Amino acid sequence: MVVVAQLVERWLVVPEVAGSSPVIHPNVVDLAFQAMNVSSTVTESEIDLSEQSRVAPDVPWATTVWNDPVNLMSYVTHVFRAYFGYPKPEAERLMLRVHEEGRAIVATGPREEMERHTEAMHEYGLWATVTRAPA
Amino acid sequence: MIVLELDPVEVQLLRELIAQYEELVTTSEVDPALERLFPTAYTDDADAAAEFAQYTRESLIDIKTANSGAVAAALEADHVVRLSEEDAEHWLPVLTDLRLVLADRLDIRTDDDPVPDDGLGDIYDWLGELQSTLIEALDGPP
Repeated sequence: MVVVAQLVERWLVVPEVAGSSPVIHPNVVDLAFQAMNVSSTVTESEIDLSEQSRVAPDVPWATTVWNDPVNLMSYVTHVFRAYFGYPKPEAERLMLRVHEEGRAIVATGPREEMERHTEAMHEYGLWATVTRAPA
Repeated sequence: MIVLELDPVEVQLLRELIAQYEELVTTSEVDPALERLFPTAYTDDADAAAEFAQYTRESLIDIKTANSGAVAAALEADHVVRLSEEDAEHWLPVLTDLRLVLADRLDIRTDDDPVPDDGLGDIYDWLGELQSTLIEALDGPP
Protein backbone atom coordinates (compact mmCIF):
# COMPACT_ATOMS: atom_id res chain seq x y z
CA MET A 1 0.00 0.00 0.00
CA VAL A 2 1.23 3.43 -0.84
CA VAL A 3 1.67 5.95 1.89
CA VAL A 4 0.67 9.52 1.32
CA ALA A 5 1.44 11.58 4.33
CA GLN A 6 -1.01 14.37 3.95
CA LEU A 7 -4.26 14.36 2.14
CA VAL A 8 -6.30 17.45 2.15
CA GLU A 9 -10.05 17.09 1.96
CA ARG A 10 -10.56 18.88 -1.29
CA TRP A 11 -13.34 17.12 -3.00
CA LEU A 12 -16.68 18.66 -3.39
CA VAL A 13 -19.84 16.82 -4.04
CA VAL A 14 -22.23 18.98 -5.95
CA PRO A 15 -25.68 17.74 -6.87
CA GLU A 16 -26.36 19.13 -10.30
CA VAL A 17 -29.78 20.69 -10.57
CA ALA A 18 -30.76 22.14 -13.88
CA GLY A 19 -31.28 25.86 -13.78
CA SER A 20 -30.02 26.32 -10.27
CA SER A 21 -26.70 27.10 -8.75
CA PRO A 22 -24.80 24.11 -7.52
CA VAL A 23 -24.87 23.64 -3.81
CA ILE A 24 -21.63 22.65 -2.25
CA HIS A 25 -22.10 20.16 0.48
CA PRO A 26 -19.69 20.43 3.35
CA ASN A 27 -17.64 17.41 4.07
CA VAL A 28 -19.07 15.22 6.73
CA VAL A 29 -15.85 14.23 8.34
CA ASP A 30 -17.37 13.13 11.60
CA LEU A 31 -19.31 10.34 9.96
CA ALA A 32 -16.07 8.67 9.02
CA PHE A 33 -15.40 8.14 12.67
CA GLN A 34 -18.74 6.57 13.43
CA ALA A 35 -17.25 3.20 12.76
CA MET A 36 -19.06 0.23 13.98
CA ASN A 37 -18.22 -2.00 16.88
CA VAL A 38 -17.01 -5.47 16.31
CA SER A 39 -18.02 -8.49 18.25
CA SER A 40 -15.66 -11.01 16.85
CA THR A 41 -15.68 -12.94 20.07
CA VAL A 42 -19.34 -13.72 19.72
CA THR A 43 -19.98 -16.93 17.88
CA GLU A 44 -23.20 -17.98 16.27
CA SER A 45 -23.80 -20.64 18.85
CA GLU A 46 -23.85 -18.02 21.59
CA ILE A 47 -26.59 -16.00 20.04
CA ASP A 48 -30.07 -16.16 21.33
CA LEU A 49 -31.77 -15.86 17.99
CA SER A 50 -35.15 -15.72 19.65
CA GLU A 51 -34.38 -12.08 20.34
CA GLN A 52 -34.14 -11.29 16.68
CA SER A 53 -36.86 -9.80 14.62
CA ARG A 54 -38.01 -10.24 11.03
CA VAL A 55 -38.63 -13.89 11.59
CA ALA A 56 -41.54 -15.34 9.73
CA PRO A 57 -42.98 -18.71 10.70
CA ASP A 58 -41.99 -21.81 8.77
CA VAL A 59 -38.82 -20.32 7.35
CA PRO A 60 -35.86 -22.24 8.69
CA TRP A 61 -32.99 -20.11 7.36
CA ALA A 62 -31.80 -16.58 7.94
CA THR A 63 -29.24 -14.07 6.70
CA THR A 64 -27.38 -12.49 9.59
CA VAL A 65 -25.27 -9.36 9.16
CA TRP A 66 -22.44 -8.87 11.64
CA ASN A 67 -20.93 -5.75 13.07
CA ASP A 68 -17.42 -4.64 12.10
CA PRO A 69 -15.18 -1.71 13.04
CA VAL A 70 -14.83 -0.44 9.47
CA ASN A 71 -18.17 0.12 7.80
CA LEU A 72 -19.93 3.40 8.33
CA MET A 73 -23.39 3.39 9.83
CA SER A 74 -24.63 5.38 6.85
CA TYR A 75 -23.21 2.79 4.48
CA VAL A 76 -24.85 -0.13 6.26
CA THR A 77 -28.18 1.71 6.16
CA HIS A 78 -27.62 2.49 2.49
CA VAL A 79 -26.97 -1.17 1.67
CA PHE A 80 -30.10 -2.33 3.49
CA ARG A 81 -32.15 0.20 1.55
CA ALA A 82 -30.50 -0.36 -1.82
CA TYR A 83 -30.36 -4.14 -1.77
CA PHE A 84 -33.35 -5.22 0.29
CA GLY A 85 -35.48 -2.22 -0.56
CA TYR A 86 -36.27 -1.58 3.09
CA PRO A 87 -37.77 1.80 3.89
CA LYS A 88 -35.31 4.13 5.58
CA PRO A 89 -36.70 3.69 9.12
CA GLU A 90 -36.51 -0.10 8.86
CA ALA A 91 -33.02 0.02 7.33
CA GLU A 92 -31.87 2.28 10.16
CA ARG A 93 -33.47 0.05 12.77
CA LEU A 94 -31.61 -2.98 11.43
CA MET A 95 -28.37 -1.03 11.13
CA LEU A 96 -28.65 0.05 14.77
CA ARG A 97 -29.33 -3.52 15.81
CA VAL A 98 -26.16 -4.61 14.03
CA HIS A 99 -24.28 -1.74 15.62
CA GLU A 100 -25.55 -2.16 19.16
CA GLU A 101 -26.06 -5.91 19.41
CA GLY A 102 -23.29 -7.06 17.14
CA ARG A 103 -25.51 -8.70 14.54
CA ALA A 104 -28.99 -8.70 13.12
CA ILE A 105 -31.10 -11.01 11.07
CA VAL A 106 -31.93 -9.06 7.94
CA ALA A 107 -33.92 -11.69 6.07
CA THR A 108 -35.45 -15.11 6.54
CA GLY A 109 -36.56 -17.68 4.00
CA PRO A 110 -35.37 -20.64 1.98
CA ARG A 111 -31.71 -21.55 2.30
CA GLU A 112 -30.79 -20.79 -1.31
CA GLU A 113 -32.34 -17.35 -1.06
CA MET A 114 -30.47 -16.66 2.18
CA GLU A 115 -27.23 -17.71 0.49
CA ARG A 116 -27.93 -15.29 -2.35
CA HIS A 117 -28.50 -12.49 0.17
CA THR A 118 -25.32 -13.44 2.00
CA GLU A 119 -23.32 -13.38 -1.21
CA ALA A 120 -24.80 -9.98 -2.03
CA MET A 121 -23.75 -8.64 1.37
CA HIS A 122 -20.21 -9.87 0.66
CA GLU A 123 -20.35 -7.97 -2.64
CA TYR A 124 -21.06 -4.86 -0.59
CA GLY A 125 -18.25 -5.60 1.87
CA LEU A 126 -20.55 -6.46 4.77
CA TRP A 127 -19.99 -9.69 6.63
CA ALA A 128 -23.07 -11.86 6.52
CA THR A 129 -23.65 -15.49 7.36
CA VAL A 130 -26.32 -18.04 6.69
CA THR A 131 -27.88 -19.28 9.88
CA ARG A 132 -30.75 -21.36 11.03
CA ALA A 133 -33.70 -19.12 11.69
CA PRO A 134 -35.10 -19.28 15.21
CA ALA A 135 -38.04 -21.56 15.66
CA MET B 1 -25.73 13.60 -11.21
CA ILE B 2 -22.93 13.86 -8.69
CA VAL B 3 -19.85 15.86 -9.51
CA LEU B 4 -16.82 14.72 -7.60
CA GLU B 5 -13.93 17.13 -7.76
CA LEU B 6 -10.79 15.34 -6.76
CA ASP B 7 -7.33 16.68 -6.40
CA PRO B 8 -4.97 15.11 -8.98
CA VAL B 9 -2.97 13.58 -6.14
CA GLU B 10 -6.16 11.99 -4.85
CA VAL B 11 -6.87 10.56 -8.30
CA GLN B 12 -3.37 9.13 -8.40
CA LEU B 13 -3.82 7.65 -4.94
CA LEU B 14 -7.14 6.02 -5.79
CA ARG B 15 -5.76 4.56 -8.99
CA GLU B 16 -2.78 3.15 -7.15
CA LEU B 17 -4.98 1.69 -4.42
CA ILE B 18 -7.32 0.14 -6.99
CA ALA B 19 -4.45 -1.43 -8.90
CA GLN B 20 -3.23 -3.02 -5.69
CA TYR B 21 -6.77 -4.02 -4.74
CA GLU B 22 -7.32 -5.81 -8.04
CA GLU B 23 -4.03 -7.61 -7.59
CA LEU B 24 -5.09 -8.67 -4.11
CA VAL B 25 -8.60 -9.92 -4.89
CA THR B 26 -7.38 -12.02 -7.80
CA THR B 27 -4.33 -13.50 -6.10
CA SER B 28 -4.17 -17.14 -5.16
CA GLU B 29 -1.87 -16.33 -2.30
CA VAL B 30 -2.99 -16.40 1.30
CA ASP B 31 -3.63 -12.97 2.74
CA PRO B 32 -5.52 -12.21 5.95
CA ALA B 33 -7.36 -9.33 4.27
CA LEU B 34 -8.93 -11.82 1.87
CA GLU B 35 -10.65 -13.50 4.77
CA ARG B 36 -12.60 -10.29 5.25
CA LEU B 37 -13.19 -9.54 1.56
CA PHE B 38 -14.46 -13.09 1.09
CA PRO B 39 -15.72 -13.93 4.56
CA THR B 40 -17.06 -17.25 5.67
CA ALA B 41 -20.79 -17.68 5.20
CA TYR B 42 -21.16 -20.41 7.81
CA THR B 43 -19.41 -20.12 11.14
CA ASP B 44 -20.67 -23.44 12.46
CA ASP B 45 -20.51 -25.68 9.39
CA ALA B 46 -17.11 -26.01 7.73
CA ASP B 47 -18.43 -28.11 4.85
CA ALA B 48 -21.18 -25.65 4.03
CA ALA B 49 -18.68 -22.77 4.33
CA ALA B 50 -16.29 -24.45 1.89
CA GLU B 51 -19.09 -25.20 -0.53
CA PHE B 52 -20.37 -21.63 -0.38
CA ALA B 53 -16.86 -20.30 -1.00
CA GLN B 54 -16.39 -22.68 -3.92
CA TYR B 55 -19.57 -21.57 -5.63
CA THR B 56 -19.39 -17.84 -4.93
CA ARG B 57 -15.70 -16.90 -5.03
CA GLU B 58 -15.43 -16.44 -8.77
CA SER B 59 -18.57 -14.37 -9.12
CA LEU B 60 -17.59 -12.27 -6.11
CA ILE B 61 -14.20 -11.60 -7.71
CA ASP B 62 -15.95 -10.69 -10.97
CA ILE B 63 -18.25 -8.22 -9.24
CA LYS B 64 -15.54 -6.68 -7.10
CA THR B 65 -13.22 -6.19 -10.08
CA ALA B 66 -16.10 -4.87 -12.20
CA ASN B 67 -16.78 -2.28 -9.52
CA SER B 68 -13.13 -1.32 -9.18
CA GLY B 69 -12.80 -1.23 -12.95
CA ALA B 70 -15.68 1.21 -13.15
CA VAL B 71 -14.00 3.46 -10.60
CA ALA B 72 -10.67 3.25 -12.40
CA ALA B 73 -12.33 4.06 -15.72
CA ALA B 74 -14.05 7.10 -14.24
CA LEU B 75 -10.70 8.30 -12.94
CA GLU B 76 -9.06 7.93 -16.35
CA ALA B 77 -10.69 10.90 -17.95
CA ASP B 78 -10.51 13.77 -15.53
CA HIS B 79 -10.02 14.64 -11.89
CA VAL B 80 -13.54 16.07 -12.00
CA VAL B 81 -15.66 12.94 -12.02
CA ARG B 82 -19.32 12.97 -12.99
CA LEU B 83 -21.28 10.10 -11.54
CA SER B 84 -24.84 8.99 -11.99
CA GLU B 85 -26.45 7.37 -8.96
CA GLU B 86 -25.84 4.01 -10.59
CA ASP B 87 -22.18 4.89 -11.11
CA ALA B 88 -21.86 5.86 -7.46
CA GLU B 89 -23.21 2.46 -6.42
CA HIS B 90 -20.08 0.94 -7.97
CA TRP B 91 -17.88 3.26 -5.93
CA LEU B 92 -19.30 2.56 -2.49
CA PRO B 93 -18.35 -1.13 -2.23
CA VAL B 94 -14.87 -0.40 -3.60
CA LEU B 95 -14.30 2.26 -0.96
CA THR B 96 -15.50 -0.16 1.72
CA ASP B 97 -13.25 -2.94 0.46
CA LEU B 98 -10.23 -0.64 0.35
CA ARG B 99 -10.93 0.32 3.96
CA LEU B 100 -11.33 -3.32 4.95
CA VAL B 101 -7.90 -4.07 3.51
CA LEU B 102 -6.35 -1.03 5.19
CA ALA B 103 -8.02 -1.96 8.48
CA ASP B 104 -6.25 -5.30 8.30
CA ARG B 105 -2.90 -3.62 7.60
CA LEU B 106 -3.53 -1.08 10.37
CA ASP B 107 -4.63 -3.76 12.83
CA ILE B 108 -8.05 -2.17 13.27
CA ARG B 109 -10.01 -5.18 14.47
CA THR B 110 -12.36 -3.76 17.07
CA ASP B 111 -13.96 -0.41 17.71
CA ASP B 112 -11.39 0.14 20.44
CA ASP B 113 -8.49 0.00 18.02
CA PRO B 114 -7.42 3.54 17.10
CA VAL B 115 -6.72 4.65 13.56
CA PRO B 116 -2.95 5.21 13.56
CA ASP B 117 -1.87 8.80 13.14
CA ASP B 118 0.22 8.13 10.07
CA GLY B 119 -0.02 8.16 6.30
CA LEU B 120 -1.92 4.91 5.98
CA GLY B 121 -4.27 5.95 8.76
CA ASP B 122 -4.90 9.21 6.93
CA ILE B 123 -5.78 7.29 3.78
CA TYR B 124 -8.14 5.06 5.74
CA ASP B 125 -9.93 8.11 7.12
CA TRP B 126 -9.94 9.87 3.77
CA LEU B 127 -11.58 6.90 2.04
CA GLY B 128 -14.25 6.90 4.74
CA GLU B 129 -14.87 10.60 4.29
CA LEU B 130 -15.15 10.17 0.53
CA GLN B 131 -17.60 7.31 0.97
CA SER B 132 -19.60 9.24 3.52
CA THR B 133 -19.80 12.23 1.21
CA LEU B 134 -21.03 10.09 -1.67
CA ILE B 135 -23.67 8.45 0.52
CA GLU B 136 -24.92 11.84 1.63
CA ALA B 137 -25.11 12.94 -1.99
CA LEU B 138 -27.17 9.83 -2.78
CA ASP B 139 -29.35 9.57 0.30
CA GLY B 140 -29.42 13.07 1.70
CA PRO B 141 -28.22 14.12 5.13
CA PRO B 142 -28.32 11.46 7.84
